[in-house]
Amino acid sequence: MKFKKFIRTYKPFTRAGMLESVQYRANFFCFLIGEIMSCFIMFFVWKAVFLSSDSETFMGFTMEDMVVYLFITFLTGYLTYSDGTYAIAMEIRDGSIAMRMIKPCSFDMCFLFQELGNKIINVLFIFAPLVLGVEAYRWAITGECQFQIQHFLLYVISLVLAYLISFYFNVSYGFMAFYLKNLWGADILKEVIINFLSGATIPLAFMPEILADVLGFLPFSSLSYTPVMIYMGMYSGMEILSRILMQIFWLCFMVVLSKIIWNHAVKRLCSQEG
Amino acid sequence: MIYVNDLRKEFKKAIKEPGLKGSVKALFSPKNEIVKAVDGISFHVPKGEMLGFIGPNGAGKSTVIKMLTGILTPTSGTCEINGFIPQKDRQRYVKEIGVVFGQRTQLWWDLALRETYAVLKEIYDVPDKEYKKRMEFLNEVLELDEFISSPVRTLSLGQRMRADIAASLLHNPKVLFLDEPTIGLDVVVKDNIRNAIQKINAEEGTTVILTTHDLADIELLCDRIVMIDKGKKVFDGQLNDLRHEFGQMRDLQFELISKSDISKLNYKADLKLSDEDVKIENEKSSVSVRFDSEKVSVEDILSYTLSKVHVKDINLKDADIEEIIRRLYRQEVSIDEV
Amino acid sequence: MRRMLRLHRIFVAQYMKNLMEYKVDFLTGAISFLLGQAVQILFLGIIFSQIPDLVGWDFNEILFIYGFSLIPKGLDHLFFDNLWSVGYFIVRKGDFDKYLTRPINSLFYVIAEKFCVDAFGELAIGLILITYSVIQLKLTITWYMIPLFIISVVFATLIYTAIKIATSAISFWTKASGHITHMFYMTNDFSKYPTTIYNKFVKNIITYVIPFAFTAYYPASFFLTGENPLFCIGGTVLASTILFAVSVLIWNRGIKAYESAGS
Repeated sequence: MKFKKFIRTYKPFTRAGMLESVQYRANFFCFLIGEIMSCFIMFFVWKAVFLSSDSETFMGFTMEDMVVYLFITFLTGYLTYSDGTYAIAMEIRDGSIAMRMIKPCSFDMCFLFQELGNKIINVLFIFAPLVLGVEAYRWAITGECQFQIQHFLLYVISLVLAYLISFYFNVSYGFMAFYLKNLWGADILKEVIINFLSGATIPLAFMPEILADVLGFLPFSSLSYTPVMIYMGMYSGMEILSRILMQIFWLCFMVVLSKIIWNHAVKRLCSQEG
Repeated sequence: MIYVNDLRKEFKKAIKEPGLKGSVKALFSPKNEIVKAVDGISFHVPKGEMLGFIGPNGAGKSTVIKMLTGILTPTSGTCEINGFIPQKDRQRYVKEIGVVFGQRTQLWWDLALRETYAVLKEIYDVPDKEYKKRMEFLNEVLELDEFISSPVRTLSLGQRMRADIAASLLHNPKVLFLDEPTIGLDVVVKDNIRNAIQKINAEEGTTVILTTHDLADIELLCDRIVMIDKGKKVFDGQLNDLRHEFGQMRDLQFELISKSDISKLNYKADLKLSDEDVKIENEKSSVSVRFDSEKVSVEDILSYTLSKVHVKDINLKDADIEEIIRRLYRQEVSIDEV
Repeated sequence: MRRMLRLHRIFVAQYMKNLMEYKVDFLTGAISFLLGQAVQILFLGIIFSQIPDLVGWDFNEILFIYGFSLIPKGLDHLFFDNLWSVGYFIVRKGDFDKYLTRPINSLFYVIAEKFCVDAFGELAIGLILITYSVIQLKLTITWYMIPLFIISVVFATLIYTAIKIATSAISFWTKASGHITHMFYMTNDFSKYPTTIYNKFVKNIITYVIPFAFTAYYPASFFLTGENPLFCIGGTVLASTILFAVSVLIWNRGIKAYESAGS
């Protein structure tokens, strides 16, 4: 019963999110094309690298691995992207955050479900084409189907966890950026740091071992590297389990962190306005 | 000075059915309809006149102003101001006009007000000496001194409006366009702004075109009004003409000696008038009768009342402009009557 | 022209005053940018730790091309950044009204109003990379290289700007076009690497359709090898001139279609 009411409360937000993203579909496609372009650039760079190299593998990655890595990292990054930082800072700035506080629903849930609607549309449009494209490429290159359903399903689980971590991280960061009063710079800094620390720009496997180990324990690898490695089948069963447990740990951590910051912010916002 | 001839502006508007289904549908087969925002408007404004531009929301007032200021290109028709066609000689033309949009500021948000003026001085190429004189004049009229060093974002709405008007007048324009200059301001500030506009018009002979929803603006400022509705002109003339044309509604107030006499008065039944023709309001021992002077004369109302009751005082009020316009907006007065 | 330069100086001065209010923000932005570029270069370093050269170009030559690509990009970012706002919100919110009621060219006004200091990050990294690679490669610099370098950088910058002008002008018809600008702009990343790594289709696109290849690889390859000056430098000038003329045409057309906003 409680669950039903929960769904009823938040369904409108999901719907609004879906509507919004359909409305801006032209923007969405342009943005997508612009972003996916960098994947293709890297694809060509890697092709040239393998052409120029005598070896079949590059630090343990074959060309085929590299392509899967590139595109699945892109997909993961795209689907786990959360706009919380910006949205929250904007709402604080124009005061509409007060409206969130007087509504009879939880603040983070409203945001989450709104973004979820957005994600549903994104998944419909890019998930299947990208996964199919990558698998077709692998098939064409190796001559056999490489798709493994158990890795795929585990990837989906890991992806959902990664999104939730990203969401709560962004909520926390949004409030922090507000305190620091420099939203624009902070937002760029976040992108750069996450892209590097999560292994999205450079696979962690290419980094010196100590650095890779340290980064593996930080929350950022949970955002991208973990799901991608699971998809590629790079982890053994035990490794997968420990990686997903790590993701769950970081999710709990981020949820608690965001609650603490939110409570603190509410106090401060109220005293500011009163 | 200003000649507007059969000006038209059409916008394309996407028709969208509500809901997710509608959005998806619009994605594959977008439908457009053409909205005639301004539908053949002509008028002429001589130099130095203050023209009030009125009409209900969405009537097309702002669209006309935006075409006159060169922001929008008309679908057809022409406007010519000071011998310029705004869209054609835009850069030279706008040097001779000042524009204020009440809902939107042209000031640099994060900078001190003074800085905005310094930049505008350069943009409009105002010579130093001229600039100094101008600032003195504007300062006197609009009292800018108290906030000229504050960043614009910290100004109150009234201060911001004064600052915006000053900004539009820095280069001594021949025509001043004011789009809702008193919107959202309190009574005192409104009064200040009106005085300033009047002073500028009187001292510099600046032609002023203003749109407003505040009828007091019109009564106090405008020599003439143009009223538009649904993109068409429905009235053009002096305020007095409007009063005259539509001013059949009159107000007669009687102060009775005895409060109990009120029940003796029954205008509707005795004079055979409908609800439309007459409205009665009672308050303590006073009766106010609002009636259509074309249906029943002042004399009839007077003699009827005097024959029924004892009257202490009589007061005849002139047609209230606000009432006329309200009726026009509600289309109680049809366009044909103009 | 002189009036425009003076106006531009005044705008820049105003903008700097504005910026001082957001110092920390600017600093964070510039540092983030430096970090981002450092990561990219580290990545190139990792690649070259495994291979001797990339399609015939060694590490230092690739650094030169990469560094060269940052100069026009940075200059465009420094001077013409406000064009992004045109496509993202100035037109949609009807704020373009302001630019049309001023007695200066609207395109110039929009451009001059903002001055993006964080572009110094790009310019600094670009110059450092170029200097470093020139020293490493022991390139001999002849006198005519300097004017040719300046010419190619100026016209390469205009390629960026023209693409931004043309795509942001689309918003006059569609209300918002920031994402279209984004889509085209992102193609510039192709120019960071030798065009020889791409297939024919991509190569043709970035040479003849969205000529970003002329913003880095072609001119840079001339400075590295001294070959093909006519195509590498002349092509840059030609592509940029045509593109710029077309973009101004689109802009002026767009202004006529501008619909403002609200009532």
